Amino acid sequence: MSEKSLHLRLGIFTCLVALFLIFVAIPNFVFSPSNVGNIILSPLFWPYVLAGLTGIVGLGLLANGVTSSNDALYEDEESVHPEGSAPWMRLAALACIMVLVMFGLPRLGMVWTAMLAFAACAFLFRTRHPIAAVVCAVIVPLLLYAFFAHVAGVAIPQGNFVRLP
Amino acid sequence: MSLLDSLAAGLALVGNFEAFLMLFVGLVVGVVAGAIPGLSATMAVALTLPFTFSMTPINAILLLLGVYKGGIFGGSIPAILIKTPGTPASSATILDGHPMAERGEAGRALGMALYASCTADAVSNLALILFAGWLASFALNFGPPEFFALILFSLTIIAGVSGESLMRGALSALAGLLLATVGLDLVYGTNRFTFGDPNMMGGLNFIAVLIGLFAIPEIISMAWNPVAHLGRTRALGKSRCSWADYVGSFKSIIRGSMIGVFLGSIPGIGAAPSAFLSYSEARRTSKNKDNFGKGEIEGVAASEAGNNGVAGATLIPLLALGVPGDVITAIIIGAFMVHGLQPGPMMFILNVDIIYGLFIGLIVSSVFLLVVGSVAIRGFRFVADVPKRILMPAVLVLCIYGVFAVNNNIFDVGVMFVMGWVGYVMMRNRIPAAPFLIAFILGPLLEDNFRQSMLMSGSDPIILFRGPITWFFWFLTFVTVFAITRSTLRKKVPLS
Repeated sequence: MSEKSLHLRLGIFTCLVALFLIFVAIPNFVFSPSNVGNIILSPLFWPYVLAGLTGIVGLGLLANGVTSSNDALYEDEESVHPEGSAPWMRLAALACIMVLVMFGLPRLGMVWTAMLAFAACAFLFRTRHPIAAVVCAVIVPLLLYAFFAHVAGVAIPQGNFVRLP
Repeated sequence: MSLLDSLAAGLALVGNFEAFLMLFVGLVVGVVAGAIPGLSATMAVALTLPFTFSMTPINAILLLLGVYKGGIFGGSIPAILIKTPGTPASSATILDGHPMAERGEAGRALGMALYASCTADAVSNLALILFAGWLASFALNFGPPEFFALILFSLTIIAGVSGESLMRGALSALAGLLLATVGLDLVYGTNRFTFGDPNMMGGLNFIAVLIGLFAIPEIISMAWNPVAHLGRTRALGKSRCSWADYVGSFKSIIRGSMIGVFLGSIPGIGAAPSAFLSYSEARRTSKNKDNFGKGEIEGVAASEAGNNGVAGATLIPLLALGVPGDVITAIIIGAFMVHGLQPGPMMFILNVDIIYGLFIGLIVSSVFLLVVGSVAIRGFRFVADVPKRILMPAVLVLCIYGVFAVNNNIFDVGVMFVMGWVGYVMMRNRIPAAPFLIAFILGPLLEDNFRQSMLMSGSDPIILFRGPITWFFWFLTFVTVFAITRSTLRKKVPLS
């Protein structure tokens, strides 16, 4: 991707976000008491100012994208695109792991969920040390549990099945 | 309280084994984290923060400062050995450090990096001790309009210097400011973007946002390309940095330290520009200028001095004004708040023992860094050998525990994951995350001081220009905007 196309895309997206904020999000999700006489002191004022500035930045990005002559492609780590659909599959799998962590935390407890998440991630990242990964997946959450529960006094969620001391 | 009384109070606070142990542990953690490419000093400070909740404030802050200072030095190790800067600030060290490693002089380059770092760190700490108190006493005259002008100035600089594009930096800062509006309104207590969820009424948790933005995107990047990190490590070689090397580069080290102190004390500049400026000044004035870029030891000394000279100086605006000097000090501000402390001029009155305790700890940290750094240089191969595809899942688990521990709330873990994906999308679109976080922290302060000013003046905006202090900050803001605009236009229209 070149700077020109990046700024065009970002500009369009930012302008749409600004419009969404001004016409949908702020009127519907920011509440102001009816007796506020002066707009400057209203809870709506700051979000509207920021939404307006966002729109200006969006227009600036668009203008920059339209007028820029820099079509050179970025050639660094962020712009590297591994071939095939596997990277997208791994991203989707990681997103699933995160969703499952959110479901698992109150039900399985933090320690067991963390163990499963650790192992799943290590295999998702195609680790060359599967045994070490499994050992670490067991030990790291247990050590963190010991620290947070018994040293820091944090009530780590225990879940509905196996409870730790 | 006299200076001696303050010093005694500070010494009483840190004059124990535990405080120095925390500082030492922090340095070790920082050096190790900085030395692992992809695990930056910022991420290390963010991940260490949850471990400090059960500590006393002074031990917690010393631990985090140790991680910060260790991380900045640690970043130079992979920069020299594998041409991959552990932190962005170490990028300048690559220019001469890696060519030296290629010649088999990695040990000499790393030694010089360590000695230059420790010297610059000591100079920077001295500047902090000398100037922070003076600046804080000056800042006691600040009211809401002055703070508004100051924070606006800080935001302007941060958006301008963070990254390759001013527009993308500004976009990031605006996103942070918008996210900071979530929660109950500061004056009327009405809901703003809470969507009826009680979890969002207090605003989004700072640590969840922070860890989400800085740690989770690295894990997601690993899923995108699990082999991107694989590289070659250089041997240390037999050469060592000699006393003659140090003396020969001393002028560049001191110059770099001064540049670091100056740039570090201005909020938002950060260590990377300081390192490059120090490097270019050393090259301009050196008699070996032709060797720069080909493995000149003075180049390593200058860039490391510029880089580390910032570390203490960024604490000057943090402690004196309550404004973060860079993204790591923004995290450290969060740590102060978690421990019930509010950095700023009043801290020099209410918590003077902690201030002087930190000063003492910082002086000791330069010595500890020398010890830890010497060992780390030899042990780097072991650090580099930690398989990153096991390290990153461990970071994920650490993030989950750490973010949950802040409020004992699973909702915060969800916020962290969401912010992680936001951070990843930003990273892929080359939008810098640092302005986002700093704006997220400064946003409520900016709005609060603005609305207090308006309440004071009956909504007359003239109050924002009420005296010399506000004029000064408005002047700085306009000068900065002008300079940034000019440099952006110059980049667009080449002279030749």
